[in-house]
Amino acid sequence: MRRAFITGISGQDGSYLAEFLLGKDYEVHGLVRRFDTSPPYHLKHLLTDSAAANRLFLYQGDIEEGALLRHHLIKSKSEEVYHLAGKTQVGLSYEQVEITCQTNAMGTLKLLEIVRHLQHPVRLFYASSSEIFGCPDIMPQDEQTPYRPVTPYGCAKAFATQMVSVYRRSFGMYACSGILYNHESPRRGKHFVTQKICRAAAAISEGQQQELRLGSLAVQRDWGDARDYIRGMWQVLQHPRPEDFVFATGELHSVEEVLEIAFATVNLDWRNYVHQDPKLLRPDEPTQSVGNPAKARRLLGWKCSSTFQQLIREMTLSACRSSHGQ
Amino acid sequence: MAKKALITGITGQDGSYLAELLLGKGYEVHGIVRRASTFNRGRLDGIYSDPQLSETRLFLHYGDLGDGSLVRLLARLQPGEIYNLGAQSHVRVSFDNPEYTTDINATGTVRLLEAIRESGVKSRFYQASSSEMYGKVHEVPQTENTPFQPRSPYAVSKVYAYWITVNYREAYGLHATNGILFNHESPRRGEGFVTRKITRAVAHIKAGLQNKLYLGNLDAKRDWGYAKEYVEAMWLMLQQDQPDDYVIATGETHSVREFLEEAFGHVGLDWSNYVVQDPRYLRPTEVDLLIGDCTKARHKLGWHPKTTFKALVKLMVDADIALLKAHREGQIKVTS
Repeated sequence: MRRAFITGISGQDGSYLAEFLLGKDYEVHGLVRRFDTSPPYHLKHLLTDSAAANRLFLYQGDIEEGALLRHHLIKSKSEEVYHLAGKTQVGLSYEQVEITCQTNAMGTLKLLEIVRHLQHPVRLFYASSSEIFGCPDIMPQDEQTPYRPVTPYGCAKAFATQMVSVYRRSFGMYACSGILYNHESPRRGKHFVTQKICRAAAAISEGQQQELRLGSLAVQRDWGDARDYIRGMWQVLQHPRPEDFVFATGELHSVEEVLEIAFATVNLDWRNYVHQDPKLLRPDEPTQSVGNPAKARRLLGWKCSSTFQQLIREMTLSACRSSHGQ
Repeated sequence: MAKKALITGITGQDGSYLAELLLGKGYEVHGIVRRASTFNRGRLDGIYSDPQLSETRLFLHYGDLGDGSLVRLLARLQPGEIYNLGAQSHVRVSFDNPEYTTDINATGTVRLLEAIRESGVKSRFYQASSSEMYGKVHEVPQTENTPFQPRSPYAVSKVYAYWITVNYREAYGLHATNGILFNHESPRRGEGFVTRKITRAVAHIKAGLQNKLYLGNLDAKRDWGYAKEYVEAMWLMLQQDQPDDYVIATGETHSVREFLEEAFGHVGLDWSNYVVQDPRYLRPTEVDLLIGDCTKARHKLGWHPKTTFKALVKLMVDADIALLKAHREGQIKVTS
């Protein structure tokens, strides 16, 4: 049986990846920062499914606790490690510069050091981000585009991506970064703009919310479906050579388009509910961030399975179901 | 009132030259010194031998870039200028100690920038960036616009510090500047760096105290300048109205082999009789051709390199010969 280890298994990507790997008969081990009293929300359905649950092992711990992580990696005998854990909110990274550096930069370095010294060969995937490009001069961006991060989050992600590359080159490790553009799903955290909009549309249509405050509506992003991106992560580690890959749709859509689709899904006009809030503008808003996934298409046969419209519709409908359930 | 400057890494090559420069300009100079079991202030001896200066205008504080006490120190001192020269500065060592290197070079810079923001001091900030950040170079020579592709944990940590410095400048309006300094050497260069290792060996070989010199890659090429001139560029950067990033370099490149020829040739020896290549000193990955283009610094700062490569090698060899002689004649105090 193949064995994989996922840091950040309780998040959007981690939980989809766990599902995907369990579906491929993997034994899946995962690191969760905190259990509290109940099991991680996005993993509940796996833990209650006996066929999946006996191949799913969760450990409580922090990626900065090196000794503990090493212990679990050795004991689980994982051949594939997916490093997804980290601080994920770009805006918040301005308030948490040092913690973002510790978690996203130092945390990844610690994992690289552990994997480098393991006795058994391990393939390592690192979930990097389009934020490493900051305000790029070139459109679209690909694997050759220079990194110019403009946020503390982007700086830490660039550090980790470059360190993965240094370890691959210097120590011959099978270590790769996937440079992931925004990827969404019904499991997207509620602070991210797509989810914020989809949930607001659902709540407003249910009469549970009156208005929605947003920053710039003109901001454009390359938004994909998280389930395509986690499949890409797995494909990266099945490739014969370790390499970095950009994962993106190659399309730009604006916040306004998200509003359009989400509110239309519940038969509302967003213009009646949305207020722009200058407080929600980030100090340095990266513009024209759009990726070119040609390399992943060519070498991995990777492609997107759904359209932007389908994705936002699904997220809105899912938000409606959960607000019914509450 | 005297201008006040704080230097991290004041006991290092650059820190000690910078301290001298600033004291000469009438500054009150504060330095952060790591507590160590061995004596680590040898490079400041020159300043301490002038009792008036040391008693009145040079102050050393125990501290560490790995520690959070910087905030209190900044709030108390309120320095007008901060020079962040403290670092784990050895590239080869960074492959063995990447976490420590990162903690000091990357996280340490964040701690300092956060301390500035938290304490609300109006300091100008200088970040010691490095030509190593270019790594696998995109163009030759390198300018302020050349992209970075770092090849060592040291370089990755310095790139992080570079970008986070730019970030604080742009997001918070801090007067924060990166000096991208190409290799700069002097008689005070650490003994583990190849130039100093060579000039020290030349002195010892000439005196009959050593007969072999073990080195890594002799074909490695670098743009080598004189550290004493480079610290002046640091100061000039913080005197500008606007913060910015500057390349400081000679624009010339020379190989380790050429350095050997000049250094051994200066005392009438043939280096090939003494040098042994040792794979232990090779880096796991080497950087490409590093040559800096300091046009911007020439125009905006009026700075340009003065000491040529040959003159630099000679002054380093002469200094090591004099140092050894003084040691052997018992003219130098024994540090403990």
